[in-house]
Amino acid sequence: MTRVGCWIVAHLTQLLNEEEREVVRGDLAECHTPTGRALREVLGLVLRRQAALWFALEPWLALLTVAIPIGFLLSHASRSWAEGAAENILLYGRLWDFSYLANPGWRADVISVAVRMAAAWLALVGWSWTSGVVLARLSRPTAWLTATMLCLTVVMATWGTNTVAHLHRNHDPSLQHHITFAVFPRLFRIFLVIVPVVWGACVGIRGRSFRLMPTVFGVLFLAGVTAVASRGLESSMSFGRGVLPADKGPDGFVVSADDPRPLWFLSLVMMWPAAFVLADAIRERQAGRESRA
Amino acid sequence: MQLGEFEYLMLTAVARLGDGAYGVVIRQEIEDATGRPCSLGALYTTIDRLESKGLIRTSMGDPTPQRGGRPKRMVRITPKGTQAASEFYNAVMRVSRGVAWSSTK
Repeated sequence: MTRVGCWIVAHLTQLLNEEEREVVRGDLAECHTPTGRALREVLGLVLRRQAALWFALEPWLALLTVAIPIGFLLSHASRSWAEGAAENILLYGRLWDFSYLANPGWRADVISVAVRMAAAWLALVGWSWTSGVVLARLSRPTAWLTATMLCLTVVMATWGTNTVAHLHRNHDPSLQHHITFAVFPRLFRIFLVIVPVVWGACVGIRGRSFRLMPTVFGVLFLAGVTAVASRGLESSMSFGRGVLPADKGPDGFVVSADDPRPLWFLSLVMMWPAAFVLADAIRERQAGRESRA
Repeated sequence: MQLGEFEYLMLTAVARLGDGAYGVVIRQEIEDATGRPCSLGALYTTIDRLESKGLIRTSMGDPTPQRGGRPKRMVRITPKGTQAASEFYNAVMRVSRGVAWSSTK
């Protein structure tokens, strides 16, 4: 087998349990199996093993209650916030002057934008990380696949949909606009959604138990930033899909303070992985107490 | 106990190999007998299935240098496996009696 073949086989066999991994690697070494055949053989075994896992309920639970619904919401929220952040960076970057900070109105505006952006970004990281953990906790052997499905849903759910920022990009094909509205949103999604999902899944796969008090504080913090970011999450669904609230409120402006919020429950959906992590930490603490007693 | 064709082939190979039955040699035995390739996936998923039915028992063997210091998965047929293979063989022999390709007329 070539070195590259060995490397690929070594990584593919990571998807098998430890005992079987050693046996299979030993079989391939003993038979001096050529690279192509070794890859086919191992891939065939891995696919059979993975397919067998899907006869259980847990992988479906992970896919249907976390990967797809939360991936869908993360897709809209991250796209909307990435483009909002890009608009703000472009606007403030062009107009920025430190002397403006002396103006109370400008200062309040900058602080408000910065707080809302920070809350939204932290919420994205928190939702993504807890989703990754829950995918692995629900079904560890299929976590790599369900995490991939979540990431694919994040990319695909808003594929081809249009936004105001896209119109900007089409009307002004300069490098600055390309970086702001095309490159930045992709980096935004990679670093604030996909990396935390993978990180959370790795933590979940390792099976490390969470200490209760840090988990409680973490979940409370995430609930706080979710509360701040909730209106942005709801409006990302309204505008991203072209669905407007039925009643625009007394002022007639969409997504202003007086609007009804028919999508208020989305924040609860995003918080359920965090609630799962908290419940898991409580359960582990109780199990630890019982085993000591 | 109902057996599939491949399960029967595996039980027969394991019975023939005795104490020396493990993945590589079972596979070789089946390929030699049938003239068809036997994949790792088919081999190990069938071993698991037969073990869960109680027809074989497996254990980890000692690591050997030709396997890069990795262990073998040793396989042994159980009395229940012997009986199931015997029933399958007898059924095939009975149903084949008198047909053109049968050696027993």
